[in-house]
Amino acid sequence: MNILFDVTDNIGIIKINNPPGNFLVKPEFMPIDELKNWIDANHLKGILVGGTGRHFSGGAKLDDLYALAKDTGKMHEEMDRGKILLNYIKTLNIPVIAAIQGSCFGGGLEIALACHIRICSENALFAFPEINQQLMPGLGGIGAMKEKSSFHEAMAFILGGDMINAEEALCMKIVDQIVPYGELFNHSFTLLKKMTSGRELKVIHYVMKALHNTNSLSKEDAMKEDTVMFCELAKDVVERRKKGE
Amino acid sequence: MQLIYNTIKFTLDDGIGHLVLSQPPSNAMTLEFFLELGILVGKMQEMQSLKAIIISGEGRHFSSGAALNELLGLADIPSKGENQRNGTVLMDLLNRNLDAFLFFEQTEIPVISAIRGACLGSAFELAIFSHFRFCSEDAVIGLPETTFGLIPGIGGISGVAALAGKSIAMELILRGNTFTGLEALKMNLVDGIFPKKQVVASSIEFARSIIRNYNKRKKNLYLQRMIK
Repeated sequence: MNILFDVTDNIGIIKINNPPGNFLVKPEFMPIDELKNWIDANHLKGILVGGTGRHFSGGAKLDDLYALAKDTGKMHEEMDRGKILLNYIKTLNIPVIAAIQGSCFGGGLEIALACHIRICSENALFAFPEINQQLMPGLGGIGAMKEKSSFHEAMAFILGGDMINAEEALCMKIVDQIVPYGELFNHSFTLLKKMTSGRELKVIHYVMKALHNTNSLSKEDAMKEDTVMFCELAKDVVERRKKGE
Repeated sequence: MQLIYNTIKFTLDDGIGHLVLSQPPSNAMTLEFFLELGILVGKMQEMQSLKAIIISGEGRHFSSGAALNELLGLADIPSKGENQRNGTVLMDLLNRNLDAFLFFEQTEIPVISAIRGACLGSAFELAIFSHFRFCSEDAVIGLPETTFGLIPGIGGISGVAALAGKSIAMELILRGNTFTGLEALKMNLVDGIFPKKQVVASSIEFARSIIRNYNKRKKNLYLQRMIK
């Protein structure tokens, strides 16, 4: 299995499991339908994404990529599937945290950027090495970089193809937090617990929906939607109180 | 000029409007407050001599936020008006209140929230609609709605996401924890820190320094000038 799924207290844990480098076997690095079913069946309130062993993910293996490129039609199809998966993660209605240690390169970094919060250990390294092979990030990583960093930072990072460390990644807003190596998993899991335990799933869904609305609606329309959701939740609270829960 | 309501005191002094949330000790935002704020906003829109607004709380706190039980009492009363989508009296109230909050953001005169003590829930949402937020180091700020099974309902989610980014917004809102003024500064949720006893006075001084030819799109320029 290249991906491990585990559940603890309504928190899903996904591990990219292809050690030592955790290379991605294909752009759709896990089957999207399996992911959807897993989330629903376990009533997940949040997801943690990490890598087995010392690294998050080294991205695609060049040999695999070149092999795939021989069939243009198939390559397009697989890339599209990869993009659909990452967009699904990005717009999920439960929080997804990437816990990043060691190398986080190429497609691995694109997965991390699709998550909602990125926490890395002090030893984490980030790069889009595609340019060194006359390629470019192909799963939406360029757009995602531009959303986090400034235009010139994103440009220098992607065209340069150089590796950056955790501190630099924090400055460029690629990651949100740095924690000591060894505390990464516990810290990320604890944060996810604090964000979700004791919360009704509906409340989590509505907060996430409201946050996603800030990208898709005008500010005023997003605010009006928030009010509608607030009123619905308020009604639920009143009904629960009446039942004496 | 002075306007005294049950929950708000408003004084217009030399061009500066002092809007004081005035139900100490916590200055909770009751239904009466929301109604009176709407009335006051309507009057402020007509005041030609109003050149800046400073929002603060009476006593030790800015405000502890909405009086939750009062709001919940309106949650299952159907609206009589033309409101669509299963409208309730609560929704009518919050929509009207959102319009009042939006006034503070949309007006072309500077609006500053001077925050001491607690500034929670809807009170922080109100502050977010200000052009500037100054607070004391030990101010206690937060959006605790999710811990009550609710979400920030008057623009707080969009506001925090715009100021601090979506990742931080997600963490703060889902956790529902409080944070200090200093932490808020690091997250770009407030613009400056002053000693507790000087937050209001410094906000007035800052307002005076930017009143002339104020352009709210030059926020960063004004802040840089203040630091110098």
